[in-house]
Amino acid sequence: MGVSTDAQSARARTGIGVELGKRFRSNIQTYTIILALVAIWILFAVLTNGAFTAPQNISNLFRQMTVTSFLAIGMVFVIVTGNIDLSVGKLAGFVSVVAAYFQANIWYSLIPDMPLVAATLSVVIGVGVGVLWGVLQGYIIAFLNVPAFIVTLGSMFILNGAILLVTQGKTIPANQPYFSEIAQGYLPPLAGWVIGVLVVAFLFWNMFRSRQSKRRHGFELPGIALDLATTIFYAALVMGYIYWVNQYRGIQTPVLLLAITAAIMAYVSNNTRFGRYAYAIGGNREAARLSGINIRRSIFLIFVLMGLLSGIAGVVLASYVGYGTIAAGQGYELDAIASAILGGTSTLGGVGTVSGALIGSLIMSSLTTGLQMLNVAPAWQYLVKGGVLVLAVYADVYFKKNR
Amino acid sequence: MKNDVILDIRNVTKRFPGVTALNDVSIQIRRGEVHGLCGENGAGKSTLMKILSGVYPYGTYEGSILYDGEELKLTGRAIHQARELGIAIVYQELTLVPNMTVGENIFLGKEPTENGSINWDKLYAETRDLLNRYRLDVAPQAVVRHLGVGKMQMVEIAKALSENAKILILDEPTSALTESEIDKLMEIIETLRQHEVTCIYITHKLEEFFRITDSVTVLRDGKTVTTQPTRSLTQEKLVSYMVGREMKERFPKGNRHPGEVIFEVEGLEAVDPNETSRKVLKGVSFNVRRGEILGIAGLMGSGRTELVTTIFGEYGRITKGSIRLEGQELHIHGAREAMQHGISLVPEDRKGQGLVLMQSILKNISLANLDQFSGFMRIDGDAELEAATQQAKSLAIKAPHLQVTVDSLSGGNQQKVVIAKWLLSKPKLLIMDDPTRGIDVGAKYEIYKLMNELAERGVSIIMISSELEEVLGMSDRVMVMHEGRSTQTLSIHEASQERIMALATGMELTATA
Repeated sequence: MGVSTDAQSARARTGIGVELGKRFRSNIQTYTIILALVAIWILFAVLTNGAFTAPQNISNLFRQMTVTSFLAIGMVFVIVTGNIDLSVGKLAGFVSVVAAYFQANIWYSLIPDMPLVAATLSVVIGVGVGVLWGVLQGYIIAFLNVPAFIVTLGSMFILNGAILLVTQGKTIPANQPYFSEIAQGYLPPLAGWVIGVLVVAFLFWNMFRSRQSKRRHGFELPGIALDLATTIFYAALVMGYIYWVNQYRGIQTPVLLLAITAAIMAYVSNNTRFGRYAYAIGGNREAARLSGINIRRSIFLIFVLMGLLSGIAGVVLASYVGYGTIAAGQGYELDAIASAILGGTSTLGGVGTVSGALIGSLIMSSLTTGLQMLNVAPAWQYLVKGGVLVLAVYADVYFKKNR
Repeated sequence: MKNDVILDIRNVTKRFPGVTALNDVSIQIRRGEVHGLCGENGAGKSTLMKILSGVYPYGTYEGSILYDGEELKLTGRAIHQARELGIAIVYQELTLVPNMTVGENIFLGKEPTENGSINWDKLYAETRDLLNRYRLDVAPQAVVRHLGVGKMQMVEIAKALSENAKILILDEPTSALTESEIDKLMEIIETLRQHEVTCIYITHKLEEFFRITDSVTVLRDGKTVTTQPTRSLTQEKLVSYMVGREMKERFPKGNRHPGEVIFEVEGLEAVDPNETSRKVLKGVSFNVRRGEILGIAGLMGSGRTELVTTIFGEYGRITKGSIRLEGQELHIHGAREAMQHGISLVPEDRKGQGLVLMQSILKNISLANLDQFSGFMRIDGDAELEAATQQAKSLAIKAPHLQVTVDSLSGGNQQKVVIAKWLLSKPKLLIMDDPTRGIDVGAKYEIYKLMNELAERGVSIIMISSELEEVLGMSDRVMVMHEGRSTQTLSIHEASQERIMALATGMELTATA
């Protein structure tokens, strides 16, 4: 996820140390947050006598973060354009109860003997509901000019009502075997290793391809040692993760889904017009407009994308919990916003990364899990999470000022 | 009295990581004089002013500053302290609250109160007295949003004076003013001089030094080059001090041979899209030839910017008239369509409309033309970089590499980035709205050279400018606007400052439209 596609146009062939130093200074924000994550993990590992970093816990930790991570990825795009979406938690919740409702009440009588089809249709309907809601919100925001804050605030109330209508105040089971696989499944260890090898092969291929292309266009190349070191580092991270979760039950399906989604969205943010326009609109709306960017269309699509990701989050949520409940998705929008901001997304728009949001999300769920393991009362969990958010943003402001 | 030094800047050095912005600068400023500060962008003027106004507090620089004979030690709430001591700065970017009245703005943060509630009558009475004393022609209760730039500036000055400013720093006060507003400002400064308010006057328009200042200090690369009484200086001398070399002409002579008419506007009328009862263009006709530079002159509010943004499809709703490019009538809705027809616009407000400041040079250059580098989905990053590198090279953008964010560039380099961005679409018609506003002499010269080159290659250029010298120095023909109408298009031989002003102010009304 951290593969830098930014081509440095002029970079002296200097030692790795100097190069790394330069990279560090220019990405101080990203590194601060990574260091914070490492610090939190070490702290919890010590306090729990290593239980925190044990394979089973790490496996659960990553599985737990997936739902809000899908939302946080979409939230990066929304906030980058200078908007906000307060409805994502309730939308994911609504999607989860709809998916549950269809399983419990419709497929049961309509297609009783086709569990795989039923599960697939549940997913399609869930994601479809998310996209449709995104289309509706996006239309109102982009074309009818109602501020996103208001539209999504209203939509939060509406979806809350809709959840109550669908559930009738009761809990609906969503535990079809195939459907449960989505968030509760694991890949066999061998499949995990195969994926790992493929990813590592891709990382190296990508590195060489990028160098080749740079050479073809006549740009100065960064030292091969540096490129190799970076790639090996990421490769080691991937293989290390796979080794660790294989100690428990293997790669978690929802984490694999999240990784694929995140990779696609990171690519979209950097390498497509859609992504570039989002950043330009948030950075300077007027300049974007005069550059011929269709701002309404971009913002509309951003909210459709957010709807899509909320839909996916909702499906994963239903599968993860195994039920559709009236409290589904409660407060997730705040977790998503916090994750994006922890990951360096600027509330003023124009700045933010998908990888940052994932790390932000990982920090939030690490805090939750770690504090739970230490038997800290929920009240204190909230206090700590809120404090960390404000502290992290302050640290960022401080470093920017004193750079 | 006249030789009494109010501000004695002694050997001030200010370092930033990697750059020495000020290097052993010494300037003496006498009480009650208007002291000009002259230098290219990056020469250190702004840094020096930031030290004086407390943005960089005492201790962050070396050397000493004596203010009224005492060491100036701005610490803690340094900006506030500077103002209390009587050092006020009128910023280039106006810093008023648009939805408040003149009085509210002037007394913002120091409203006269009685038992905790604001005494409005006192506030407006004091505002009125203040405005009268310095002969500032603004209504105390007027809402700032409705004022022109010139009046806003008067309010800024009044605000500074309300704090009993002894030293008033004017940072490029005329960059957004029309000729008549500049005249008014000069009168105000004259009044200030009579009231013994010392002024530090910063500008890029050299002739203004000769109109108003008593002495001028030239800074170059963070060092004081010279301080001289204005009467012993000439524009040529100033320029050579600034750039450190003789500069024969301020406007490079091009070798332009305008061809046939390619762009025609006839009887264009348009209304404000947000307020359709307000006519912004009331009949504009002109044409541009291939490879020609057409200057558009006119006072602020004469509809120059409205005209070009309407042509670009981004502002006025056209109610009458036609626009033709190469004989084909255009109906442009928005920037994208304009670009597809080969029209580019370098907008008036570089930072507000031209650039995404937090993004890199690369991303800014490619922003309007990403479709050149992308297929259905993917942007070819290398092709993008190659094209941008080529542009950056041919425009001589000075930066270590293209990943530098544009907010760290000087005004001149920023403007080059905007121009690079708009040249990438290979325009037939390049519209430049005040392309050299607020940039230094050296960078101006480069932009002029670039305009010549483009015109020689057959690009037609429409240049709006508030500086008459620039219009006269660069254009093949000059179209003068007055109150939303085109008056006359003068060939460069018939055009003179007097003639243009006569047309622009409506003294010489001609109905060629």
